[in-house]
Amino acid sequence: MDKVVSLRWFLGIFTAAFVLFLYGPFIVMGILSFQQGPEGGPQFPIIEWSTYWYQHVFGLAPPSRIAPLPIGEALIRSLTLAFATMVVSTVMGVLTAQAFRQPFRGSGVVFYSVILGMIVPGVLLGLGMVLLANQVGIDRNWWSTAFVLHVVYTYPFAFLVMLAIFNRFDESVEEASLSLGVSPAKTFRKVTFPIIFPGVLSAMLFAFTLSYDEFPRTLFTGGSDVTMPIAIYGTFAVEIHPNLFAFGVLSTLFSFSLLAVYGILLTLSIRRQNQRASGLQEDIT
Amino acid sequence: MRSNKGTWLLLSPGIIWITLFLVAPLIMMIYVSFWTQTTFSIKPDMTVVSWVNFFSSDTYFGALLRTIRIWFTVLMVTILVGFPVALYIGQFIKNKTLQTALLVTCVIPFWTSFLIRVLAWRPMLGKEGAINILLQKMGIINAPIEVLLYTELSVIIGMVQIYVVFMVGPIAFMIGRIDGSLIEGARDLGASTWTIFRRIILPLSMPGVIVGAIFVTVMVLGEFATASALSGRKVNLLGNIIITQVGSLKWAFAAVAGVVLTVVMATFVAIMLRIVNLRNQL
Repeated sequence: MDKVVSLRWFLGIFTAAFVLFLYGPFIVMGILSFQQGPEGGPQFPIIEWSTYWYQHVFGLAPPSRIAPLPIGEALIRSLTLAFATMVVSTVMGVLTAQAFRQPFRGSGVVFYSVILGMIVPGVLLGLGMVLLANQVGIDRNWWSTAFVLHVVYTYPFAFLVMLAIFNRFDESVEEASLSLGVSPAKTFRKVTFPIIFPGVLSAMLFAFTLSYDEFPRTLFTGGSDVTMPIAIYGTFAVEIHPNLFAFGVLSTLFSFSLLAVYGILLTLSIRRQNQRASGLQEDIT
Repeated sequence: MRSNKGTWLLLSPGIIWITLFLVAPLIMMIYVSFWTQTTFSIKPDMTVVSWVNFFSSDTYFGALLRTIRIWFTVLMVTILVGFPVALYIGQFIKNKTLQTALLVTCVIPFWTSFLIRVLAWRPMLGKEGAINILLQKMGIINAPIEVLLYTELSVIIGMVQIYVVFMVGPIAFMIGRIDGSLIEGARDLGASTWTIFRRIILPLSMPGVIVGAIFVTVMVLGEFATASALSGRKVNLLGNIIITQVGSLKWAFAAVAGVVLTVVMATFVAIMLRIVNLRNQL
């Protein structure tokens, strides 16, 4: 038994060190975003604590030799792209998972083809898409060639989430609704959808965040109007400045607020479902 | 209950999308790798010149070997680092809420932009970076360690940090599913901790390791950003080769590198899928 106790301690300490390893760059980024500006570079020690780089991100800092990040347009493009990707891939994910509820011939092939979308590396897909676009004679744009690849990438995630939800789905509820003469469309809207809603929400969250942060697929196919990750990638070649870290902190906070919205919506939907269920029961008794 | 036609109707948007925007580009890539490349243009005359050039060039064949070496190192390190963590989360934390909280803790860094997370390693590993300052202050080293940044090592450290979570998740999931009574029973029958690990935990966690290995493999093999951010462009992976070839409009060559990468990846994934059926693990 002693052996188990010491093993538990060893693994506990190992895990703690692991978490520190995961968060190291994260913490460094947070600290360095408060570096003095504009002379302070992205390294230790902190010359003087300041919020200069945050002002710089918002374009509030006095002009200096360091160019501001192309926040405005690139960010709006990224958000628009992420939103469109989220809608399309979630709808397709729900449809495909719905089809998978009944066994059909060729389901294996379809399953793996869809999964391929999240597995094939972005560089390869981006390259293939550019070659195809060149061949067919289509212009490359973030809202066309890049958008379709974003969906190829996020749709499998939505599909898998929905598949997992449908696997735990009690079909008799739907059958009851159908046999009572409710139309299939209305059954989906009134019965199926409320039950799968948490899954839909997760699929949307996945699709949005993946697309928002996506860049190997966008790099070749996005055309000349850059999205936010491509703009950041552009800074790799030149010197980096703490404004990137300030932006990183801000975009992390933005992601957390998305996560919070997701959490609130999920709790609300579960609570409403419970209420409805208890209300139904009262009606019956 | 639903007709076969209904099933295919539901499937059609997905199938059309995947065919046009996933299958067609990949086929196009294979096709173009056999085209004739001249300095500024490319002609659809079939040839294997690009292929011959790729395998006879030290730069490109070397990049392939380097890619495989780095991938294999990262894969091994993620298993060695990830398994103990997954074991701790899956077996030693009995409280389900705490278990989920720990896993969520591991995932939170993912809500920071991937590229910015990679860049944040620079002030960590540099000559005047956080690690060197810390080690010098503690008196462990006298001179800063210089191999930490702009080397293969920094690329490996960066990749392990980014991708190890994809190993921890599936393994922890499989270990968490192991029936506790199985282990208790083994212990009551006198099995040692080591035997329990070797005979019960290890075999039952294998599907998790394999799923994790597939994740890590496809992501590391397609990588180029970590290498260009943390190696000062000194470490060129196949992904980096593709980027530079596309930049100089050498389409056929980029396509060859792409096909080679696909073959390496597909071979590994196919072997792994022989061992575990992904669909049954859902």
